[in-house]
Amino acid sequence: MSNPQKKKNFQIEAFKHKVVVDPKYADKTWKILEHAIHEIYNHNASGLSFEELYRNAYNMVLHKFGEKLYTGLVSTMTAHLKEISKSIEDAQGGLFLEELNRKWNDHNKALQMIRDILMYMDRTFIPSTRKTPVHELGLILWRDNVIYSSKIRSRLLDTLLELVLRERTGEVINRGLMRNIIKMLMDLGTSVYQEEFEQQFLEVSAEFYKGESQKFIECSDCGDYLKKAERRLNEEMDRVTHYLDAKSEAKITNVVEKEMIANHMPTLVHMENSGLVKMLLDDKYEDLGRMYSLFRRVPNGLLTIREVMTSHIREIGKQLVTDPERLKDPVEFVQRLLDEKDKYDSIINLAFNNDKTFQNALNSSFEYFINLNTRSPEFISLFVDDKLRKGLKGVSEEDVEVILDKVMMLFRYLQEKDVFEKYYKQHLAKRLLSGKTVSDDAERSLIVKLKTECGYQFTSKLEGMFTDMKTSQDTMQGFYASHPELGEGPTLTVQVLTTGSWPTQPSVTCNLPAEMSALCEKFRAYYLGTHTGRRLSWQTNMGTADIKATFGKGQKHELNVSTYQMCVLMLFNNSDRLSYKEIEQATEIPASDLKRCLQSLALVKGKNVLRKEPMSKDIGEDDAFFVNDKFASKFYKVKIGTVVAQKESEPEKQETRQRVEEDRKPQIEAAIVRIMKSRRVLDHNNIITEVTKQLQSRFLANPTEIKKRIESLIERDFLERDNVDRKLYRYLA
Amino acid sequence: MRKEDTVKLISAEGFEFVVDKRAAMVSQTIRNMLTSPGSFAETQLGEVTFPEISTTILEKICQYFHWSLQYASDKGRYKKLISSLQRAGTVP
Repeated sequence: MSNPQKKKNFQIEAFKHKVVVDPKYADKTWKILEHAIHEIYNHNASGLSFEELYRNAYNMVLHKFGEKLYTGLVSTMTAHLKEISKSIEDAQGGLFLEELNRKWNDHNKALQMIRDILMYMDRTFIPSTRKTPVHELGLILWRDNVIYSSKIRSRLLDTLLELVLRERTGEVINRGLMRNIIKMLMDLGTSVYQEEFEQQFLEVSAEFYKGESQKFIECSDCGDYLKKAERRLNEEMDRVTHYLDAKSEAKITNVVEKEMIANHMPTLVHMENSGLVKMLLDDKYEDLGRMYSLFRRVPNGLLTIREVMTSHIREIGKQLVTDPERLKDPVEFVQRLLDEKDKYDSIINLAFNNDKTFQNALNSSFEYFINLNTRSPEFISLFVDDKLRKGLKGVSEEDVEVILDKVMMLFRYLQEKDVFEKYYKQHLAKRLLSGKTVSDDAERSLIVKLKTECGYQFTSKLEGMFTDMKTSQDTMQGFYASHPELGEGPTLTVQVLTTGSWPTQPSVTCNLPAEMSALCEKFRAYYLGTHTGRRLSWQTNMGTADIKATFGKGQKHELNVSTYQMCVLMLFNNSDRLSYKEIEQATEIPASDLKRCLQSLALVKGKNVLRKEPMSKDIGEDDAFFVNDKFASKFYKVKIGTVVAQKESEPEKQETRQRVEEDRKPQIEAAIVRIMKSRRVLDHNNIITEVTKQLQSRFLANPTEIKKRIESLIERDFLERDNVDRKLYRYLA
Repeated sequence: MRKEDTVKLISAEGFEFVVDKRAAMVSQTIRNMLTSPGSFAETQLGEVTFPEISTTILEKICQYFHWSLQYASDKGRYKKLISSLQRAGTVP
């Protein structure tokens, strides 16, 4: 920094400090500073000159007396702190904390003043000798002389813990004072805070809550207990915000969670008359929500809730599907299922925060018990049938969608979707042919949903049925347009059904009355004229007829009857009395159908257009039938014996199931061939797994059945067994 | 300028320099002096005595304070000031 200029005799030298020759210099300077420190601690600092003290400290350090200054500082401060410690110890009872707090504030202020004066030492001497800086030194000395003093240490801890306990039992304490004391501990270092307070605090809290939870459990029900637990939890968090270190929050909440919740989870959940099951049954959303948010905090909490809920739902579901009473009315049955699902959906939505894992648990439970009853596919189809026939009358479009979506949801749970398909086809056929659907749009909407769910294959035949209906309409128009002379005679409406799409019925014999058969032949000629190479066969068991009848007393009625019934009734145009045998011979209707037909004509009250002699319930070979001239009805139009989709009787059920099994065989074979073609060689267990997986979307494949199919394919040279390993199969191209 | 915004710096010879407080606070030492808790004489009277600093030096120091406030970001003038201080024989 000097800039020597060689100009005449003018020299500039670096500034040099005055050399000190006084040996007592250091002591004198130190005395001044020591005195100042005393004054500061005795609140007598006004009147001291900062500049003078600063200069003195500066000079001491500069002249290499920094060590003396530092040690002097340590001993002076220590002496003062010992005095302070004594005065705190002497404080009585409640004044202990206040005194401590006051002295701490004083110490801090003094420390800062001292640090300011000794700033030069802090900046130069201390870093170079690696001693503790003044501020930190002040804290350490305070800690060692005050906090660690034997009489203060334990008293401090006890006082703090006692105050916490008092607050927990409902008293109001001085939170500001607590905050200051805790802050003091924190300023002294995290380890001080932890050792002098936090560790004990956590232990004592654990004890406290252990006792409290024991007491509560014995005298409260589940809902109340949860409320109390929540309150305590909030209280502790509040406590941390107000006067503890933020890092303690996680630790104390853990303690509360463990003692009040985790340790008592099973007891709470299974509590008689107020536990989880009761809450679920009573839709106690608030309590359930509380349980959810509390249990979420502890490991396995939600798991516990989920498990109990799942087993409860499975239990209820199982009862539902195996209760013989319920099974009498399929529509009611399915409605009950939908209601249960709605109930649990809203519980999960409102109380369980839409938790996906709970949704999954619900879905798996439903899947489990719906498939316990093998008639579920049939019942669901009946439910849909009922809705599409009359249930959806007058319902708005969005509501219709909602109901159909719910049905789809139940459909997804079915394992045997192909059984559903079969029944649905049957019911749909009946609906279409009798013209009984409430809304065409609703029908189509459902087909679309099924298509999205299961693919085109599932619904192609169903769509074919709709197409047939439409085509038939057009055909009829064409028929009558080209045969204007038939306008006078009976009106014929023909539905032409493509054999593959519609559920097959074996075609039966039936002699139509002359007028009808002539008309039918004309239609057949017309149709085959435009569609060569096709074959038509009349399905007389599926038709209906409207005939006008005049009875003995002149009363006229229009009767809506089945084709069979029409054939029988038309016979009475030519004779008054007919025996069963005669009717059978004339119409050639099979015996069981004929008997049923005659029963509905003669034995049903209010619809008995025929009279039978004798008046027994059964139809005997020699029974005689007459027109019932006394027939009376309020209505002009009378409907007799509609073909309604019924719950199947036992033999019918067996038949359908058998047909389903038959249909499954080729599907299994196709799956096996597909898999073997791509894999070439595969062992037995793997084939079973793969096939089951592929067919999962339609039905649950039976391993024994798969084995049989494999055998059959081997016989037909599609596969062969490996010569060495009997479990291995090979694809034969 | 109000009295509260100023501080008096007094040299060894007794010369009084009344400067803006902000200027004086450029020196960390003076800043600590004025903002220290506790009632030192300096804060009460609002004046600081330097019995070991001569007037000429103190004058330059005050100039430095003001210059520093104004031109703290401009390096060019810094060199000029340093050379002027060296000519006066002070220690930077």
